[in-house]
Amino acid sequence: MRRPRPTLAAALMMLVAILIQTTVFARFRAFPPDLVMMTSALLALTSIRREAGIVVAFGGGLVIDLMGSSLLGLRAMAMAAVAFTAVKTRERADIGRIGVAIWVGLLTLLGIVLLLLVGTLFDQRSLLGDNVLSRIALIPLANTVLSLLIAPLVVRVISRGSSYTFA
Amino acid sequence: MAIREAGDRTLPTFISLLVVGLLLMTFDVRLEGGGVVASLRNGTQALLSPVQRGAAFVVGPVADIVETLGALASLREENQALRGQLASTQAELAGIQGKLARLEILESLYGLRLDELEVGRTPANVIGRPDGFDLAFIIDKGTSDGIALGQPVIDSFGYVVGTIIDVTGRSAIVVPIMASRNGVAVVVGVQVGNLVSQPGTNDMALDIFEAREPVIEGDEVRTSALSGVFPAGLAVGQVLRSAAPESASLTTVVRPYVQPEHLQVVVVLAWPPTPAIAATTTTLPEETTTIPDEETTVPDGGG
Repeated sequence: MRRPRPTLAAALMMLVAILIQTTVFARFRAFPPDLVMMTSALLALTSIRREAGIVVAFGGGLVIDLMGSSLLGLRAMAMAAVAFTAVKTRERADIGRIGVAIWVGLLTLLGIVLLLLVGTLFDQRSLLGDNVLSRIALIPLANTVLSLLIAPLVVRVISRGSSYTFA
Repeated sequence: MAIREAGDRTLPTFISLLVVGLLLMTFDVRLEGGGVVASLRNGTQALLSPVQRGAAFVVGPVADIVETLGALASLREENQALRGQLASTQAELAGIQGKLARLEILESLYGLRLDELEVGRTPANVIGRPDGFDLAFIIDKGTSDGIALGQPVIDSFGYVVGTIIDVTGRSAIVVPIMASRNGVAVVVGVQVGNLVSQPGTNDMALDIFEAREPVIEGDEVRTSALSGVFPAGLAVGQVLRSAAPESASLTTVVRPYVQPEHLQVVVVLAWPPTPAIAATTTTLPEETTTIPDEETTVPDGGG
């Protein structure tokens, strides 16, 4: 039976990402990453249990929903979709640090598009505010850059003792 | 390469979570943000707001320095523009002094006693925002500071920001008017209209249903006395596009003064006030009285 420690570490990592995103990065609006979405993708790409990765991502999105004004469950679904896609492409994404960073950026783009599409269906007009196109472009870019720096740390914490690494 | 686990339950887990997510969204729509959803929000806020306050306390000064350094050039220009504005405002103020003096005379002549409504104000710091797609933000004041659900929020210049949608003991969530699904009753000149948010932009749509005259680009939009949420007379924004009435209705675009993404400090108004305002009665004197002519003097130059 697998030890629950990687899952606990993943949950703690998600909590830290939520706190940093909602406080530190809330002040820097010029180049804003989506730390929670990036963490969801990175965690799912490690050797953490697949179901745990998706559940942690869903929980992270749910907490962000609870801290804002948008519908409860909206971001949770987007994060779960990002994590699911990451889990399903885990083997193919083992292509080095830069390849993984680019893949995280693309997964972020997927998550944002899902968020906006589903949000629009539920009349969440505030999602489509000013400069939405620039945000759709900048956030995945910021996540790509950040994940280049953070991915090794995530792997070290989660995949201790595993043969899976971002080579 | 990672080895595929036996009994992979990824897809059923994902589908289950999607269903849960859809159910939560449906509940939230049905409950309109209240009930269990409000309790969950309160609980999350109560748990996380102390950490957010601490982080904001630490990060705030550093972020201020970084922002100031980055905006140094534009700050100089802004400073020049503000000096000019100050000069013209001081000149305007001097002109108003004469009108105030005349008002006092009229009030004493007719025995008017206007109860000036003192609206309680609670300043608050912005300590967090969910993400780049949600304009709502979290402030560091809550019920223990006298904040209540539905109270209006303005910025430090008195411009309308939004309303409180959730409050805990030590924090609250504010939704700006351009992100709210509720309209705001406003007045442009003498015409009353409804200001609603639009998708894809922070500019808002103004609908006047019994329009008698056109609105001109640059006209100021203020909250109306018909608004149940905001006190009357608060500045909201400016008309972006001139428009004339068509079949007694008129639609145009308004740009709010406030940019919620840049707010660091806001003021929560204790509105509506709970004590009833005493009605005032005025009796006109029988004899006529000569009112002094209005005199206004504007000093030369300014600032």
